[in-house]
Amino acid sequence: MSGAGNASGAEHAGRAENAGRSEHAGRSERADRAEHAGGGGAGSVREVRGFLRARSRARSTPFDRYVTGFSLLVLAAVAGQPVSEVLAGLATSTDPARAGAGLALLALGLAAFLAAARAAGPVLLTAPDASWLLLSPLDRRRVLGRTGWALLAVAVGAGAVLGLGLLAALGAPDQLVWRALGALALGVSASVGATALAVLSRASQTWQVWLAAAVVTLLVLAVVAVGGQARTALAVAASAPLAAVAAAASGAALAAALLVRRAWAALGRIPAREIAAASTRGGHVANAAMGADPGVLTWIAEDNHWRARKLRSRSWPSLPAPLALAWQDWRRLARRPGRLAVTLATAALPAVLAEAGGTPGVLAAAVLAGGLAVAATAATGARRDADNPALARLAGVGRRPALAARALLPALLAAAWTTASLTGLATTWTTTTLTEPAAGVHVAAGPAVWWPFGLAMAPALAAGALRMARRSPVDHSLPVIDLGAGGIPLGPLLWAVTGLDLAVAGCLPALVALASAPAHPGGHLAAQAVAGAAVLAGYVLRSGRGAGQAT
Amino acid sequence: MIIDVERLTVELGGNPVLRGLSLAVDAGEIVAVVGPNGAGKSTLLRCLAGLQPVTDGEVRVFGGPPVDDAAFWGRVALLGDEPAWYPGLTAREHLELMAAVHGRPRLDVEATLEVFALVERGDAAPLTLSTGQRQRLSLAAALLRPSTLLLLDEPERGLDAGFRGRLAELLGAYRDEGGTVVMATHDQALAACGRPVSLSGVTT
Repeated sequence: MSGAGNASGAEHAGRAENAGRSEHAGRSERADRAEHAGGGGAGSVREVRGFLRARSRARSTPFDRYVTGFSLLVLAAVAGQPVSEVLAGLATSTDPARAGAGLALLALGLAAFLAAARAAGPVLLTAPDASWLLLSPLDRRRVLGRTGWALLAVAVGAGAVLGLGLLAALGAPDQLVWRALGALALGVSASVGATALAVLSRASQTWQVWLAAAVVTLLVLAVVAVGGQARTALAVAASAPLAAVAAAASGAALAAALLVRRAWAALGRIPAREIAAASTRGGHVANAAMGADPGVLTWIAEDNHWRARKLRSRSWPSLPAPLALAWQDWRRLARRPGRLAVTLATAALPAVLAEAGGTPGVLAAAVLAGGLAVAATAATGARRDADNPALARLAGVGRRPALAARALLPALLAAAWTTASLTGLATTWTTTTLTEPAAGVHVAAGPAVWWPFGLAMAPALAAGALRMARRSPVDHSLPVIDLGAGGIPLGPLLWAVTGLDLAVAGCLPALVALASAPAHPGGHLAAQAVAGAAVLAGYVLRSGRGAGQAT
Repeated sequence: MIIDVERLTVELGGNPVLRGLSLAVDAGEIVAVVGPNGAGKSTLLRCLAGLQPVTDGEVRVFGGPPVDDAAFWGRVALLGDEPAWYPGLTAREHLELMAAVHGRPRLDVEATLEVFALVERGDAAPLTLSTGQRQRLSLAAALLRPSTLLLLDEPERGLDAGFRGRLAELLGAYRDEGGTVVMATHDQALAACGRPVSLSGVTT
């Protein structure tokens, strides 16, 4: 041990910038002791962390901590007013149908949170920690302790949002403050419990089954809630006495605490390979975030999926060259039928949002965003060719024919999704207006009139998805626009709106019609058909100009 | 003459990479561009493919400047760094895609898999292949499709010694069919199967 300490001391002595040779030598000795402690304990990990912190170039100073604390206070002061206004607006009873739709959205949100937590790890380390501390004799649970606290913080934040959503869905006929606290406790308990469940699922197969069961239960709950079968239960829940709310919140908190305790105990049993894989994923995500290039994430997700899949080759259909090239997207889609089914099932979400009280403007935005997202899932080939055109060059297909062929599948998917979602929306609107004439929504445009908008929007959505898939990485050299209250970086902003701009421009007549619900939307439909076709044709023609290859 | 380069000068970020290079390549010839790292081998290939603007001089391929369009890539097959594989496709399907796009491929897909020793891994996603296998798949895609000119940047990358010898034979067969090959390589044996052109690098 002393030999190692002397070696470290000699190494540090050569660094003139490090003041206090004996101090560094002492630290090195402590770190060496920690590393050789064989299993160590809390002290060992603490000393290693201290050793690393002492040598970190990005050591936080008291001033840094002061700035962080002050920023948090300012954030709380700024957000406090709007949040309290929103809360005050919830001091009323809600319609059971609206409560059911709201609860369905919350259940779907929690299921998505659970799935995301599982997919993201959730237990991961920074790349250096995964390399140096994970495969060491240090106590694994202590090494992962910092990750545990970070997960808890994220879960509490998500839970607060969930709690507010619950309060918005159920309303607060009396005792607003206590009901708000109860809803927050329920939301935080649910998200913390879900995170603990995701951690546990990494440690054992049994908990993986429980996690899958929880996701399925939440999905069933969403379907039941939106289907109207639970209206009585929701009405009872919305007007439950405070004692019942307190009992429910206490029970949820207790269950969450038990899960957290088990998860903490299980941290030390999570296999190193699981943590290493999650950390690698996390590292990629961090790199993508640091470079502000979220497009990289799509690559990572795709590659991870297909790397783990067992495939069987099928013969390629005999098609004209551009269609043969684009057939890759069709085959890829057919190989993920589950994802396709889930994607198409999400077409019901705008209707659920309408039931939950979404305004026409919000619903129009939801249809546009959903249609664009669905179209984008089928534009992977265009994204690959744009980012790395080596295969496209080998294929030797012209840019215009390739783009036109690659637009077919996104257009088809967007048409199916938007048609289904508009049909659902129209049905909901009709029902809502019949039961609530004061809602101010016209019924003249029934299902038979609205669904063709889906077909007319599809080409523009496909063009937007292709433009989004083929956009360049974020240009960080662009200036930051100073708006007085803060700066907006132009590069990320332009990156974010690329693709969306084309979709909005090409779907404008439909968006106006959806937001204003005219009695006779025939003119809007004709304009939409022309705009959609023109945007796609213009995009394909324009993209074929100049030098370049089949991207 | 397939390629005619005269007094080619290329500067990258203000630093000269190639200066006053002249090169003529006839049809049915294999040219091996050799030289140390940083000599400008890859830059030369990119110039021949029309992907690198030249600072000075002239590059003519098939009698005119290389144009990055479909007609050009119908005659030229370029293999540089590892391509991005299409998600959801197997190794065999990547070759089938290439055959389907070109209509009349040079080689049959099954025969290509055999020649490149990929039959056992035909149903694998390319990302699950080893580095050498992925390089073989890239070469298979480039040699399966019909072309007149083959531009290869370090084709020996990741290949075992046995397959490097096989690659020399495959390139020889391509030349015998009338094809032209320009490759940048560090492999002396591979370079020996063609006319070596040495780039010593620009000293400033």
